[in-house]
Amino acid sequence: MKGIYLAGGYPDIDTFTESARAVVASGFDFIEIGIPFNDPIADGPVIARAIYDSISSGVTPAQVMKCIAGFNHAQIKKYAMTYANIIYSFGIRKFSEEMAGYLDGVIIPDLPNRMARLFYDSGFEIPIVPFATLETRESDIKMMNESASDIIYFVGLRGITGARSDFTSPELLDKIGMIKKNTEKKVIIGFGIKNSIDAGKAMAIADGYVVGTEAVLRQNDPAELKKYLGSLRQ
Amino acid sequence: MRSNKGFYGDYGGQFVPEILIPALDELERAYNDFNGNPGLMDEFYRYLGEYAGRPTPIYHAKNLSEKYGFDCYLKREDLLHTGAHKINNTIGQAMLARHMKKKRIIAETGAGQHGVATATAAALFGLRCRIYMGSVDVERQMPNVRKMKLLGAEVIPVEEGLRTLKDAISASLRDWVTNVEDTHYLLGTVAGPHPFPEMVASFHAITGREALEHFQGMGFMPDTVVACVGGGSNAMGIFQGFLDMPLVKLVGVEAGGRSLGPGDNAATLTQGTRGIFQGALSYLLQDAYCQVQDVHSVSAGLDYAGIGPQHSYLKDAGRVVYTSVFDDRALNAFHELTRLEGIIPALEPSHALAWALDNAGGLGGTRVLVNLSGRGDKDLDIIEKQGGTQ
Ligand SMILES: Cc1ncc(COP(=O)(O)O)c(C=O)c1O
Repeated sequence: MKGIYLAGGYPDIDTFTESARAVVASGFDFIEIGIPFNDPIADGPVIARAIYDSISSGVTPAQVMKCIAGFNHAQIKKYAMTYANIIYSFGIRKFSEEMAGYLDGVIIPDLPNRMARLFYDSGFEIPIVPFATLETRESDIKMMNESASDIIYFVGLRGITGARSDFTSPELLDKIGMIKKNTEKKVIIGFGIKNSIDAGKAMAIADGYVVGTEAVLRQNDPAELKKYLGSLRQ
Repeated sequence: MRSNKGFYGDYGGQFVPEILIPALDELERAYNDFNGNPGLMDEFYRYLGEYAGRPTPIYHAKNLSEKYGFDCYLKREDLLHTGAHKINNTIGQAMLARHMKKKRIIAETGAGQHGVATATAAALFGLRCRIYMGSVDVERQMPNVRKMKLLGAEVIPVEEGLRTLKDAISASLRDWVTNVEDTHYLLGTVAGPHPFPEMVASFHAITGREALEHFQGMGFMPDTVVACVGGGSNAMGIFQGFLDMPLVKLVGVEAGGRSLGPGDNAATLTQGTRGIFQGALSYLLQDAYCQVQDVHSVSAGLDYAGIGPQHSYLKDAGRVVYTSVFDDRALNAFHELTRLEGIIPALEPSHALAWALDNAGGLGGTRVLVNLSGRGDKDLDIIEKQGGTQ
């Protein structure tokens, strides 16, 4: 499960759509599309800047949701990545009703596993992707397994998007081992993958990875992005 | 004010990255230990007394009362060490950090009062300290920046967003996510994820207890208790003394800024809608696209789009009336108190006083207790820029 994160609507809707096509054409298994929120506490400077830029140029969550809905390539899985307020204030049930047919899951960095219930209880029917981290305790995994999501999103570092993971650290290897032992779901490493070497290391220890910051850096130039995506898959 | 597993009605919760959850659990355990440990509680109250200067007096402001026709009482939190109520919370949380064996504390600050109080507690307990402060606030509250640095804290100007309190909190959360192993985030108000609202409110409850005891001693109660509301900590402090006395009217005053138009104020509870922001479900100033609204206030400590979840609950329950006053009315109240009583207040509680002065007609003959949450030394530059003496 190899995936790419793109900041939805950045730098503009057309260029973004072209970049998203490049992800499909490059043979990735999933795409994670960011719906912009202007307090992106889990994002580092590159992704945060892209989000602020798209919002100040007038991109709205509804526009990005429309892009996701229009983007019906059967060969690629789609996840939306956004912050809790976007879904909550748009309307938990309304978001779910409008998007359930188009999404394999949502990734909400400020909705920890124990808070997901609040969304489900309010009528949210899209799988919410559980998070595992370096701090995850074995007792936390039960809750993750109850999710309808096909993947677990493993944050392999203490930090925000744009930082680098150390795929040789015993702590990380132990933690992934513990998680994989306790779940059937695919464990995807998010955060900290920059190039094909990192990607290779991630595939050696987990079931997949997602690249964000390095893709977003090239998002305003789909040709350049395509070259980079090719290099990643080597 | 106790929560129901982190919620007050629908409000509260823990809306933060998963990696912080074990740290929040650890904090909750430490806080419960602390509450159940008479030795630690004694030490806490000893610091609040011998070090911070509690109890603070309640002053019957005779000149103001005479001019405005109601009995104006001031809870003198401005007399506390470091100049504001914030020290109650920073001593409590610094002791918790020590208890959890964390060596480093970080904090956000708007007006700089919480930053100074945090840097002070860090010096006292031998903790390393970093303060995040929006660069707009660094500029408008420079005296406090100088104090923080003298106290040994590192002050990091935050250049994102509007470069005010929200951005300082976001930067602190990013730091905490990165350094959670050795760092305690010493949040400065009753906002953020559980257990912060409950814990910070409990460290400030002493203000309300002292006020209640004072009035019990006098044999009557105030008719109205007024406090300014930024994130909501000084207001929770004083309100908790009177929450279960239905005859005491409670008024929370937010920043009306330049106008009640979007982007011109920080009047979250009267202008906002429910949202999820910086750790909690609460009222939030947001636009039609679910984005956090820009805010404005002459007072850096009130310049915040969010609000602690307890206040959202108290608003919906109808127990507290929330309202706002404009920048110019707060400035007027600042000058009134300064000239009539010789007390220079911070701009934040000037909002609370402004509500009372501007509603003097309806308050005539009643007793009004205003929580004077801090003193105004930090605001002299702003006052001079706004036209100085009137
Ligand atoms: C003196 C004073 N009062 C009030 C506030 C507002 O905060 P809160 O609403 O948490 O009391 C501040 C914040 O900096 C302050 O310095």
